[in-house]
Amino acid sequence: MITRAEAEDMIARESLALDRCDWDAWLTLFTEDCCYWMPAWRDEETPTQDPQSELSLIWYQGRHNLEDRVWRVKSGLSVASVPLMRTSHHVSNVLVEGEDRVAASFAVHVHNTKRRGDHVFFGRYEYRLVREGDGLKIAEKKILLMNDYIPAVADFYML
Amino acid sequence: MQAMIWEEVKALVDDRIDDGWFSVHKRAFTAQEVFDLEMRHVFEGGWVFLGMASQLPNPHDYLTTTVGRVPVVVMRDGEGALGAYINACTHKGALICHKRTGSGRLHVCRYHSWSFDSAGKNVAVKAMKDGAYSDAFKAFDRNLVRLAAFADYRGFLFGSLVETCSIEEHLGEARHMLDLAADQGEDGLELVPGEVIFTYDGNWKLQLENCADAYHFTSAHPSYLQLVEKRRREEKANSVKSVWGENSAWSEMTEGVTGGTYAFEEGHVVNWQIIPLSDTVPLADRAEILAARHGEKRRDWMVNMRNVTIFPNMQIAENASSQLRIIRPIAPGLTEMRTFCIAPKGESSEARRKRIRNYEDFFNPTGMATPDDTVSYADCQDGHANPSQPWLLGYSRGMTSVQQGADEFADVLNMTPDRSQPCGSQLCDETLFHSYYRAWLARLQTGMERDA
Repeated sequence: MITRAEAEDMIARESLALDRCDWDAWLTLFTEDCCYWMPAWRDEETPTQDPQSELSLIWYQGRHNLEDRVWRVKSGLSVASVPLMRTSHHVSNVLVEGEDRVAASFAVHVHNTKRRGDHVFFGRYEYRLVREGDGLKIAEKKILLMNDYIPAVADFYML
Repeated sequence: MQAMIWEEVKALVDDRIDDGWFSVHKRAFTAQEVFDLEMRHVFEGGWVFLGMASQLPNPHDYLTTTVGRVPVVVMRDGEGALGAYINACTHKGALICHKRTGSGRLHVCRYHSWSFDSAGKNVAVKAMKDGAYSDAFKAFDRNLVRLAAFADYRGFLFGSLVETCSIEEHLGEARHMLDLAADQGEDGLELVPGEVIFTYDGNWKLQLENCADAYHFTSAHPSYLQLVEKRRREEKANSVKSVWGENSAWSEMTEGVTGGTYAFEEGHVVNWQIIPLSDTVPLADRAEILAARHGEKRRDWMVNMRNVTIFPNMQIAENASSQLRIIRPIAPGLTEMRTFCIAPKGESSEARRKRIRNYEDFFNPTGMATPDDTVSYADCQDGHANPSQPWLLGYSRGMTSVQQGADEFADVLNMTPDRSQPCGSQLCDETLFHSYYRAWLARLQTGMERDA
């Protein structure tokens, strides 16, 4: 059983790692075979349910895919990632649901220095956390993005 | 703001092809008065793409979209026949259908309860008898306003707010490119569930150009290409395998003809590359069936990369995966993109999975390629504010090698484009863009003369 304090601790760690652009630390929070999933929306009210037959915004199985995303942003080769946006993750309503499931609400404030504008991505996180060694790891992270009208770019570090 | 006269509009395109010169003025991308004319005469003055018939499979289904600034609904009536209407109650103008796609035998306006059936007929005016209406009112046509032209070409739905040529004339020889897409499934095409909408801070014509622009590929997408190569080397489970990892059509090491472009009179263009059949291609497991049905050469064309633009608002990009795009201009410097994964009906779940994974990685605004394009469009839009160099220099590659009519690859499809450019990977033709701007001027001229 995971306690709420443990869950909040894990999510705060993740949020701060992303906001600090400490993506190597962020990657260590995930299990090697983790699933990272941001569904698309089938219609105004229904997100897609099955990543194998429906479209997602992002779907990866395996931490190495997240490592690829981190590499791309750090590489200096991605137009969309230079300069980086500044982010601030705000997560609330953290609730442990069942043995290993954690739900939370998020709002990520994104500042685009180049276009001199701000944007807020918001929605819900759903995690499955597992014990590995002394601590917890993220085995699944689902990001349900409510405002999926995306101003050009939405990369992992803004979500 | 003073309205532009035709001579000023015409002067935005410097088309002196016999002198080896073609250029577009930056004002075409930035001026509000140009944008207003485009809305009225390009988008509201001729054929535009509306959506797919497969989005409304059953009687009484509908889809909503916009034609220029005008809300439009396409509905299937009780008999299954399609019709396209202005999506506005004839009473006070409120929207009638409210979802992107939906269904209803009867659409009751939410404002004053006038009712319309799925054939657009006004079947009831609330409290008609007690309304003390005049005979003139009673005799007036209160049905939803039909679009002046509507057509279903092999499941691709098009409409026009003004009377115009037939859809066959509009699509012209570019229809062969839609046929290549439609023929991939025995029962046609469908949209994979999940619509993705994004915007970018740039003019709509930047998207028009980028889709057909081979020149940007290795410059804008090195991060994607390097990852594709890395994944191919590592062969990890659950890594997306891309067609780009299986061929080097874009590489400067490649020799001979690797692809090319076609340009069509009506403003449609195609940028294509030879893609060899391999396991990364979603059509791979039906390659034999497709060859038996359509012949090997035509099947190979289905596997080739094809970035198709049907002027002015539709693109089908079949490369790493397959994307249908609807371009919706919102302001001179703001464009909305509605995007879908388009796929043959009835393909295997494994083929579908491949298609989806490659789509997400390459095409999504949350993926690893499209954001590198759209951010570059915004950079262009910013650069277009520069009045000291008003003429753009991106319309000249291939000027001395482009040929009139078909090439041997087009012959396979019995297709006769206006111009062909079979070429190696490094030519990266820009002359195909000329067709966009000639069609653009033609619509503007027709419309401005109509209004005069």
